[in-house]
This record gives sequence, structure tokens and C-alpha cells, in this order.
Amino acid sequence: MSHQFPAIIVVLPLVVSFFIFFSGWWVKRAGYPLAVGALICCVFLSFAILLAVLGKGPIHYWLGGWEPPWGIEYRIDHLNAIMLVLISGLSMLVAVHAKKSVERELPAKTALFWSLFLLFVTGLLGICITADLFNLFVLLEVTSLSGYALIAMGEKKAVFAGFRYVVIGTMGASFYLLGVGYLYIATGSLNMADLSQLLPELINSKAILAGFAFILIGLSIKMALFPLHGWLPDAYTYAPSAVSAVVAPLMTKVMAYAIIRVMFTVFRAEFPISILQVNDLMVWFGTLAILFGGVMALSQRDFKRMLSYVIIAEIGYIVGGIGVANVTAMQGAIFHIVNDAVMMACLFLVAGLVMYRTNGHRIADFKGIFRTMPFTAFVCTVGALAVIGVPPTCGFFSKWYLLLGGIQAHQWGFVTALLVSTLINVALFFRVFDKGLYVHSNKKGPDIAGPSNNPYAGEAPLSMLLPAVILALAILLIGIFNQFIVTNVIHFAVPVGL
Amino acid sequence: MSDLFSIAYRPVWTVIIPSVVALLILFSGKRPNARESWTLIGSAALCYTVLSMSPVVLKYGPIQFIWFNLLPGIDFAFKVDALGLIFATTSACLWILVSIYSIGYMRTLKEHAQTRFYFSFALALLGAMGIAFASNLVTMFVFYEILTISTYPLVAHEESPEAITAGHKYLAYLLTGGVFFLIAILVTYFWVGTTDFSYQGILKPALSSTSKFTLQIVFFCFLLGFAKAAWMPVHSWLPSAMVAPTPVSALLHAVAVVKAGVFGIIRIVCHIYGIDLMHTLGLGLVLAAIAAFTIIVANFYAIGQNNLKRMLAYSTINQLSFIILGVALLSPMSITGAMLHIPFHGFMKITLFLCAGTITAITGKKTISELAGVGRILPVTLGAFLIGAFGMSGVPPLAGFISKWHVALGAVESGYLFFLLIIVVGSLLDVVYFFPVIRSAFFAKVPEDETLKGDMEEKVDVYAEKIRGIESRRALYLFMIVPLAITAIFSILLCLFPNIFSIYDLAQTAVKNIFGGV
Repeated sequence: MSHQFPAIIVVLPLVVSFFIFFSGWWVKRAGYPLAVGALICCVFLSFAILLAVLGKGPIHYWLGGWEPPWGIEYRIDHLNAIMLVLISGLSMLVAVHAKKSVERELPAKTALFWSLFLLFVTGLLGICITADLFNLFVLLEVTSLSGYALIAMGEKKAVFAGFRYVVIGTMGASFYLLGVGYLYIATGSLNMADLSQLLPELINSKAILAGFAFILIGLSIKMALFPLHGWLPDAYTYAPSAVSAVVAPLMTKVMAYAIIRVMFTVFRAEFPISILQVNDLMVWFGTLAILFGGVMALSQRDFKRMLSYVIIAEIGYIVGGIGVANVTAMQGAIFHIVNDAVMMACLFLVAGLVMYRTNGHRIADFKGIFRTMPFTAFVCTVGALAVIGVPPTCGFFSKWYLLLGGIQAHQWGFVTALLVSTLINVALFFRVFDKGLYVHSNKKGPDIAGPSNNPYAGEAPLSMLLPAVILALAILLIGIFNQFIVTNVIHFAVPVGL
Repeated sequence: MSDLFSIAYRPVWTVIIPSVVALLILFSGKRPNARESWTLIGSAALCYTVLSMSPVVLKYGPIQFIWFNLLPGIDFAFKVDALGLIFATTSACLWILVSIYSIGYMRTLKEHAQTRFYFSFALALLGAMGIAFASNLVTMFVFYEILTISTYPLVAHEESPEAITAGHKYLAYLLTGGVFFLIAILVTYFWVGTTDFSYQGILKPALSSTSKFTLQIVFFCFLLGFAKAAWMPVHSWLPSAMVAPTPVSALLHAVAVVKAGVFGIIRIVCHIYGIDLMHTLGLGLVLAAIAAFTIIVANFYAIGQNNLKRMLAYSTINQLSFIILGVALLSPMSITGAMLHIPFHGFMKITLFLCAGTITAITGKKTISELAGVGRILPVTLGAFLIGAFGMSGVPPLAGFISKWHVALGAVESGYLFFLLIIVVGSLLDVVYFFPVIRSAFFAKVPEDETLKGDMEEKVDVYAEKIRGIESRRALYLFMIVPLAITAIFSILLCLFPNIFSIYDLAQTAVKNIFGGV
């Protein structure tokens, strides 16, 4: 049974997704328990896979028994095992959280929401598990299409934001497909392991070069790497809060994963680094993304929009870390993929909690949350400190590896950008804290905006709050046990050849 | 079970106690008396724990405790040594007194958000303990940031625009400093692969792989990282933070924050760079010059102040640089003096702040020029103030004398007689700025209540309320007066018997460790 897990983890949410869609015509309420049930199964499966990988090394799974390179192969090593855990864990928590907010924000479309939600997760899991470039494209499209639909379900402006995302996202996917096409023409293979055997001989071919460039640009668009980020802020701001809580942390991180795969598994490390030296370019784009994202985030009044720009900056961290291209920085980049997903999910859940109480997600809506919603405020504090990079939250440790890698490689521009971004994040999040902490400027005595006067006083329902609290604790625990995670998992996830 | 309370686990308790207290405070926010008793019980327990470690450390050497592995080659670990104990003893002892005092002060003024206040205070103590006992730079950094962030709500406690601005300034200076600290730690780690404090310093091997100039730059990064020590020109957050309630000022100036800064500088100079390397790089003289500059300039600033607490803030800046000067002279005597000045200045400065707070809480007066006649209304308070003020300028028989004497001896020992001059001039100027306070409090003519007569009709209500207010304040008066009397008495006792809490022995042991038994 256990050797079928790689297939089950993708097929299960897919099947349940269709089931929810059709059953939604009769039973509206079935979506939530089914989706959460399926995702809990996925969490267990992903942990089982992770343990298997840790114990026995990479897993190969031939879909339908067809031998690669003709059939589709699923190949799971430490890198994608940890991605699987991340995706299933986060989406499970967001799903638990989403029930109430979906009932409020999308009362007429619950079944549709759950169906698309699972489809989206299916796509993400598939992208991470597959070892086939074309299969990756298919699942990328599954993810994107369900993502477009989910985002467009949101506020008034979400339709336009979603449309913009469709246009740009489709371009990204097309670039990717084009690149894969070039590689296929040149080598006749789509299997990653197979390609990595074939490509070194063709290293001087212009077609390979073009294919590599197209893939890289396509994934960068999907990843919202500056300056290809235009679609992201609107899409994530106006999406329903449950949607942004799952799309925002995961989509961009999975794309970062795909870039690592393509750069270091499909092509071997020498090709992008020694021959093309594309990594220096990546460091510079990463640096620019960090600074641009930070500055733009500073000028936002909307919490979700601010977070969107923070994501753009965080993508800069990851891409820069990949570009620095030494073991330490790569550990940092991979660790930051994990950490950033957790902390962004945490903060978007906070946005959801505040949204549930105040019907808004501007920073001004955070007024007095330390008093009215103490647990939410706690979660928000932990998440924000993680983004800033205050120890002992997990954000500090990935930043530590990135900085140390940058110093080892003498990438002073990148190091400076990381440090500056720390300060920018301080300014960003302490604005939120100020709003939350200081409700009554220049008045003494019992404050007027106390719980009794606030119609929205009190925490959001437990089912919404609990996932956020779990994430906050996860941030702290990942931080405290970071050494365990890094030496046992992430260390092995670093691509060979660096 | 008994194992958990054995001496090996005491370092752990020093951080567990404040964090548990913080949580208990949070959960008993609705019952003020319970909340304050947690603070008091916790502070007493912490004080006991810290004090109980000093005989052991003096006898058997440092107590080490490793929590877990944090990063490759870096453990999250505590090492209780003599130097750390000096700082921890200061913080832990003063926490009790400040807690008692804040009950009186906060309730007298009916301050808002008292739960947040006590919660943040306990967290700040957690930070201070961690800084004192951290066995390497990264562990120290963790607690350093905890200290910075937990004091932010305290500085901005009043929530007035001015207070929030002060809070932002505080964060801007200290977190920017934190970034410099981080980069310095990273570079250190990059060079020598460890960040553990060692008695002889760890950076010496780096001299072979890098230039002197880089090492000097990194030293300045460390210095900027310890912006908490308020050396000029990174001092201006400290006077601005004066808008906070007095117990917070006491925390900033005496209990934890600035002391963490100078403590950090001592750690860097002695245990990261090491005395030899400091001499090789010529950094001692540079640091001493910065400190000398700060001492003199801060004194002049202090003379120019009319706001009592602002004046005290500049006084702190100058005294801190005095500690830095002691370290920078790099001689055993002066370093002993610097270490002694941490607790001694703590006790004296807290006396002054508690006095200033009491004056404000009872009479509502904040500036020096208004103080006329206060000496007669509040004799104990002003008496204590007098003791603190003389202590600052190093008049015997007050604690300040001992530490200043040691630093002065150190200046002679190291041969830089110029700095001896600075010490003397600095101490004289200390007298100059305290003089107006004493003069106006004890000797100035009490103004008639004429200002009140002019618009009596409007103010009648206010005035009656004031009287009532003062009466109700009397009840809490004792809570304020007792701690400050205790600290004043200690300021004297520490001079007569400098070995209370074995502080003198600890300082000597710490210096002996650094100089290898000189």
C-alpha cells in the first residue's frame, strides 16, 4: 500500500474535488467535511512520504507502471518531500479556517469554492511530486486555472484582478511550455532525470539555451519575480480572504521550487552557474525585488496589499539565495521557502480573522486588536516578527543562512538588501502594531474604545482562530528546532554540484 | 524533581521565571492584586535564583547549560560567569524594588493598560537575564532583540503622539543597531566559525585571514549594535524615551536596557576581541576617545536641562560612557571599576529616577524650576535624591566613589593621564547639574499660590479634586517611598561594604579571568 502513496496524494484531492462539485448540486454542506477530510489524509500521506524519503532515500514511482522516460515518473527526494508536507499542511489548516469566512464571503458558492480549492491543492502537490516537465506544465495549468477562478470569486475588483492574472499567467505558462518544447525537440525526452543525462552533450546548442531562458522567464512570471510581478498585488488583495490565505503563501513558493528543480536537476548546476552565469543575474533581480517590494509595501494602507508586496520582497530573498549558489545560501533559500510559506499563511489568516470581525482589511481595521482580539494579535505579532526576522522565530534562521551564504560569496549588494529589508519590515509591521496597541491617543484613564463600545469586539470563531494559532506556534517551533530540520532534511535537499 | 532545582539548572530558571510571570500576568489581567503579586513573587524568586549562583560561581567557576543546537557550531547556551552575574544581580535586585514602586506609581496616577505594562516589564527582565547569561553572541542577540521589542510598548506607554514618536525613535535606533550587531556576528562567525565568549577573546585568529582595518570596521558594527549603551552620537533615543512612566525610565536607565548595552560592550571588548587584540588594533584609545567626548558633552547637555527626567537621562548617558571609558582603558583596575559601576550606577540612578517619579506623582511637578519648596513636602524623597546626586559625582562615602576611584586608578595605570583629567572634570560637572535641583528644592523661596488666585473661579473644582487626589495618593505613598529609601541606603552601603551580593568579588574574578590572574 505504502508504495502507492505518491499517486494517492495527488489522486485523492482530485477525486474528492470532482465529487464535491457534483454533490454540491444536492448537498451544499458536504464540501467542508469532505475537503478537510481529504486534506487531512494528504497531510498524513505527505508525512509518510517524508519519513520514507528520510529513511530510504528518494522514491521513484512509475505512474501506471510505464517505465520512464516514456511514462510519467513521480520522483520524491528531500526537496519535494518537504514541499509536499508544506503544501498539504498549510492547505489543511487554511481549509479548517476557511469554513466560516467562506460562508460569510461567498455564501452562494461554497461547493464551488471547495471543489476549486481541492483542485488547486492537487495542482500544487502534482507540480512538486512529478519528475516530468510536461506533466509539470499540465499541473501548473490545473493550479493556475483553479487559482484564477478562486481569485475572481472575491470582491468587486477581484474580477478584473483575476482577468489580469489570467492574461499574464497564461503568458507565463506559454513561455514555460515553449521552453519545454525546445528541450523536447533537442533531446526527445521530458523526464527530468533523463534530460539531465542528455543535456550536457548539447550544452552549446542555441535551442537548449532558448529553452532554458523560456522556462526561467515563464516560471519567473508565475513566481512574480520583480519586474514580472504586476499581476500579484491586486490578485491577492481582492481575492476572498480564504483564497489569498492559500494562494499567496503557496503558489509563489511552489514556483520557486520549480525553478530550483529546473536549474539544478534538469540542467546540472554547471550549466546555469559556470556556463551561463545566470545566477549573478538572479542575485541582482533578487536584490531589486527585495528593495522594490519593501518600498512599495511601505506605501500601502491595506494590510493584504502590504503583505502582497512583502511576498514580492520575500521572493527576492529566495531567488537571491538561489543565485548566490553556494550550499549555505541554498539551504537558506530552501529553508526560506518553507518559512515564508508558513509565515505568510499565518499573516493572511490574521487578515482573514480581522476581516471576519471588521469586514475590512485595511491597516486601520486593526485598531485595538490587542485588546479586542488578543489571540489574533498574538498570532499577528509572531508572524510579523518572523517576517522581520527576530529570533527565535523561523524567519531569523533562514535569513541567517542567506546572509552567511551572501557573505561567503561576497555578494555584498544582496547582503545589504537583506539587512535593509529587515528594517523596512520593522517599519511595516510596527505600523500595524501601533494601530493595534494604541487605541486612545492622548487620553488617560479607561479608554473609550474598550470592548463594550466595539460592536465587533471579541475573537473570531474558534475554527478560524485555531489554525492561525497553530501556525504561530509552528513558526516558533520551526525556529527553535531549525537545526534539526536543516541537518536532517534541508541539508539533503540542496542540489548536488554546488 | 529535586534535580531540577539543583545549581546546574539555575540558569534555566532565570529565564523561565520571568516568562512564566509574564504569562500569569497576562491571564490575571482582570485582577490587579493577583497580577501584582505575581510580579512580586516572580521578582523575589528571580532575585533568589540569581544570588544563589554567585557563591558557586566564585568557588567553582562558571555554570554552563546548553539548551540545544541552534546553528552549526552555535549552541543556544547559557554560561553563568562572574561578569554576567554582576549584571544579572543588578537587574534582579532592582526588579523587586521597581515592582513595588510601580504598584504605588501606576495606581497613584491611575495609568491605563497596566497589564500590558507589567507583562512587558517581565519580558524585558527575561531579555536582561538572557543577555547576562548568554554564552555566545547569537544567544545574546536573541535576548537582545527580545529586550528591545518588549520595551517598545513601555516607552510608548502614554500613547500620546509624543510618546509614540519616542517609541518609534527608540525602535529605529535600537533595531538598526540590532542589524549592525547581526552583521557583526555573521562576519565573526564567518571568520572564526564560533561566537562563544572566551576569556581571551576569539577574534585573534582572524588577524591572519583579514586586515586590521576590517576588524576595526567590525568593531564599530558591534558598537553600533550596542546603541543601547547610548554613546554619542547614538544617544538621542534615551532622552526622548523620558516621556514614559517613571518605572519604565528606571527599567531603561538602571535595571536592564542601557546596562545591557554597556554590558555588551564589555563582553565584546574583553571576550570577543580580547585585550591583546584591542591593543594591537589600537581600538582602546578610539573607544576611550568616544567615551570621553560623550562624558563631557552629555554633562553640558545635562546642565542645560530644565526637565528633571531629561536631565537625569543625560546624566545616564555620561555615566554610561564612564563605564565604557573604564573598559576602553584596558587596564585591570579600570575594568574592575567599569564592572563595579554597572550595579553601583544602577542603584544610584534608580534612586534618582524613583525620586523624580515620586515628585511628579505626588505634586505633579516635572521641571527643576518648579521644585521650589518640594524638599519640605517630601523630605525623604529629596534626601534620597541628594544621596543619589552625590553618588553620581563620586563623593565618598557613596557607591560612585569606589567605581570612579578604580577607573581613575586604571587611567593612571594605563598611563593615559588625559583621561584622568576627563574623569575629574566629568565628576565636577556632575555636581554642577545636580546643584540647581538641590538648591531649588531645599533653599528656594516657596512661591505664593498667586497663580491660582487669578483664575480661582475656574480652578476651584480642579483644586478640590487635587486635594482629594493627594489624599488618596497618600495611601500609595509608602509603596513609592520605601523602595527609593532602600536604594538610597544601598547606595551608601555599597561604598562601605562593596562586597554586598559579592559584587566586588565577582568583579575581581571577572577581571582575573580576563587578565589571567594579574
